[in-house]
Amino acid sequence: MLFTEVRGLPVVPPDGAGPLGTVTSLSVDVVSGCVSHVWWRGSRFGRETALPWDAVGAVGPGAVRVGSAAADESAPPHHDLLGHRILSDTGTGQGTVLDVAFDTRTARLLALFTTRGELPADRLLGLGDYALVVRAA
Amino acid sequence: MNELMAARSLTTRPVVTLGGDAVAQVKDTVCDAAAARITGFTLTGRGLLSGPLKEGLPWSAVHALGHDAVMIRDRRGLVAAAAMTAHQQHLRARLLGARVLTEAGTEIGTVLDVVVEGGTGGRVVGFRVAASRRFVPGHARHRRRVYVPRGGTLTVTGRALVLPEDAVRHVADDLPGFTALVGGVPGWWRGSLS
Repeated sequence: MLFTEVRGLPVVPPDGAGPLGTVTSLSVDVVSGCVSHVWWRGSRFGRETALPWDAVGAVGPGAVRVGSAAADESAPPHHDLLGHRILSDTGTGQGTVLDVAFDTRTARLLALFTTRGELPADRLLGLGDYALVVRAA
Repeated sequence: MNELMAARSLTTRPVVTLGGDAVAQVKDTVCDAAAARITGFTLTGRGLLSGPLKEGLPWSAVHALGHDAVMIRDRRGLVAAAAMTAHQQHLRARLLGARVLTEAGTEIGTVLDVVVEGGTGGRVVGFRVAASRRFVPGHARHRRRVYVPRGGTLTVTGRALVLPEDAVRHVADDLPGFTALVGGVPGWWRGSLS
């Protein structure tokens, strides 16, 4: 599934009640190459809350079903991958991230789609406030 | 060969860790007394109102000098700037504006900028020189700027750089031409680049 497809999906609690809110973004742990948190907000002007991936029951189709909606207060600083600048470890710009494909069952990243073409997920080195650093080809 | 870049274009280039965080940006380049290689950078903060940093970036902490950023391993590589610049020279302070002469005494011009090699080497490859009228004839108001390769044996005496006679036999008009000159033309300086 793509990050842009997950963004905007309703967050549905396990007891089948109405949706809690909508997904705003996904944060990624670059070292393990997995989605680590799902960020969502309850209302349009509400605060974003982080939900660890372990608390997510199923992603898609049409909704993100969660086990518990308890917020993870110890979530690391969030950097949205979409639109982020990409730098190679030699210091050369590689465009920006357009979209990311990931496996909804294992949360593993499969590939990144950038303004300069596709990028395998195993080349990621670090994600910070300035750029996503990838290993040079 | 790695990309060549003018040292002035390094100013304001961000200093980024391999973790993707920008910690500073380059203020000036520091090179050794023989003008052979870069020994480090002085830094400023990244905000609009942030001034120069007390920390400098030694070349040993640089992972790679790239087209869009200076990559470092982590912020612990930064050292006190005063210690780094004590025995070395800022480009702006010493090299820029220095006279360039050949060993025979021909005046070439004055240094406008220093051309360095990117990547991990940090070598000084040549100089952008405001050529004197005798070296490059032309209209007085239309003074030419040429790129002169550094060569292997350069001596710095005070505010003058003395180049061997061979170094100025070929000069280039622009940076792409200079890249082809020092990378493509067989010559004695080639070994010092690759």
